[in-house]
Amino acid sequence: MKSDSPFVPYLATLQDSIDLTPDVRLFRIEIDDPEVRANFDYSPGQFIFVSAFGTGESPFGLTSVAYRKGPLEVAVRKVGTVTGSLHELEPGAAVGVRGPFGNHFPLDEFKGKNVHIIGGGIGFAPLRPVILTILDHRADYGELLIINGARTPQDLVFASEFDTWAGSPKTKLELTVDAGDKSWTGRVALIPSVVKELNLSPDNAVAVICGPPIMIHFTLIELKKLGFGDNQIVTTLEGKMKCGLGKCARCNVGEKYICKDGPVFTLEQISKLLEQF
Amino acid sequence: MSQFISKQHLLSWLGQLMENRHLVAPARVDGLILFKEVGRVEDIVFDYENTTLSPKEWFFPKTETLFYVERKDGKVELLPPEIEKETVIFGIRPCDARGITILDLPYLADPADTFYRQHREKTAMVGLSCLTACPECFCESMGSGPQDTAGLDIMLTEVKDGYLVEILTEKGKSLLSEGLLSTADLPKPKAPKTAAVPSEGVVQKMRQAFDSAYWSRVADRCIHCNVCAYVCPTCYCFDVRDYTDKGRTERVRSWESCQSPGFTKIAGGHDPRANKGARMRQRFGHKLLYFPEQFGPLHCVGCGRCVRSCPVNIDIREIIEDVQKMGAPK
Repeated sequence: MKSDSPFVPYLATLQDSIDLTPDVRLFRIEIDDPEVRANFDYSPGQFIFVSAFGTGESPFGLTSVAYRKGPLEVAVRKVGTVTGSLHELEPGAAVGVRGPFGNHFPLDEFKGKNVHIIGGGIGFAPLRPVILTILDHRADYGELLIINGARTPQDLVFASEFDTWAGSPKTKLELTVDAGDKSWTGRVALIPSVVKELNLSPDNAVAVICGPPIMIHFTLIELKKLGFGDNQIVTTLEGKMKCGLGKCARCNVGEKYICKDGPVFTLEQISKLLEQF
Repeated sequence: MSQFISKQHLLSWLGQLMENRHLVAPARVDGLILFKEVGRVEDIVFDYENTTLSPKEWFFPKTETLFYVERKDGKVELLPPEIEKETVIFGIRPCDARGITILDLPYLADPADTFYRQHREKTAMVGLSCLTACPECFCESMGSGPQDTAGLDIMLTEVKDGYLVEILTEKGKSLLSEGLLSTADLPKPKAPKTAAVPSEGVVQKMRQAFDSAYWSRVADRCIHCNVCAYVCPTCYCFDVRDYTDKGRTERVRSWESCQSPGFTKIAGGHDPRANKGARMRQRFGHKLLYFPEQFGPLHCVGCGRCVRSCPVNIDIREIIEDVQKMGAPK
């Protein structure tokens, strides 16, 4: 069906899915219509709705980058009804895709700057396209520091890419967990204290954060103590959404819609919002 | 000189409209007066102040299928819902017609809500101006009024033995043949006076009142029955769900209310508006601050339905007065 309705998804096929952690799976999805697929352009920070037909659809930040021309990728934590259904799908299953929606990380403004990527749990997923874009255009950006934190070592997402990232020029990867296990020899600390300990420099730098609200809250406190200005801190918000178009009126924060005016906001923009999410 | 239609001609016109269109008009349903599809002109109610529910549902149905999912030979196909016939809604009060023009702002904004747009294009609105004011109505304070023609295709005003007719759009012109009309030298009856509510400058006051404990105090008595959103001609929040029955899945959207606990709760449990005070502030914030900031007009037409329906007497007129009296936070 060719529909002009923004509520009708493109039919798509689940190519494959890869377990990233015990409850997070990376889904690689290809839109069926070759013309739509070829023209489906998006930027780091944007999101799509993925339908599990019969259960519903939910918004997910894209973890892939458009310029690599591969399938659309989203990392889905099994946490509710739609995500539960998605986790049951086998490769070849029909899914729906709507999007891309929202604004994106201001990567042009990051050029020439040192970038600190700070992600907690599944919140790290939408930051991956920022990392990929920087690593694929290495000369355009300054130092890259990646802080990836999770509850336990097995909850760290994108572990298979850690060696590549850590081995890239001008790049440092710091992993941390709330609680280690027998084989974990790395850091056991909450993200805000890692930020404090590493003494991140605000000079010619931006910090890009995503994670659970409590982690964002305390990380912001540390970053501000280190001298980061509100316009040097960028984050991406999530909210209950049903349309992605600013029509269902579910994800407003004051007069702004996360789906349309965000999901990416600087702390400067967030501090002007009436509500605190 | 005004255009005039006799009561008898009006009834025969409405009878003609039913032949090839849906005719929706105020009718008695279980003691309520509701907009309903009518098959006989005798079922149309003319002596009513206003209907219990607004005509919003004919543009934004309570539940509406967005598409069907058909699975055949391992393939999935998405099928559109059936296209409906042309519809004429008769007897819309001016506040409610203005309400539709308010719904236009978010729903027709690019990219348009195609379902709403289709209902809008296929539906004509025939208004009936108000000769008396409902006790709870404050339409004039909200930019409307008993003789407001905004959104209407035809406006009728009752006079002796018939109605004055104002044809307002091409759509209206195509519905009503000139043969049924005559000219009459009758003045338009004086519009009734509606209650005054101090809406002037409320947007700025709402911003100042944002962090007040007032919202929690008002919210304490709210039982989140959501009736305010359901009777409101301008509330437009919705939910979307999939339903599967006998192997066929449909994706359905339905009315939702910002007063529902869990309205903003996301998978995983985080809920930025977990308490009633925050939700109450959202309702009035949306109506009196966010929507005007986004689109211009206040998100209320002063029909008074929420005032009439709220079981715990939360009254938007009082809220506006209270907010106006509040000083800037210290």
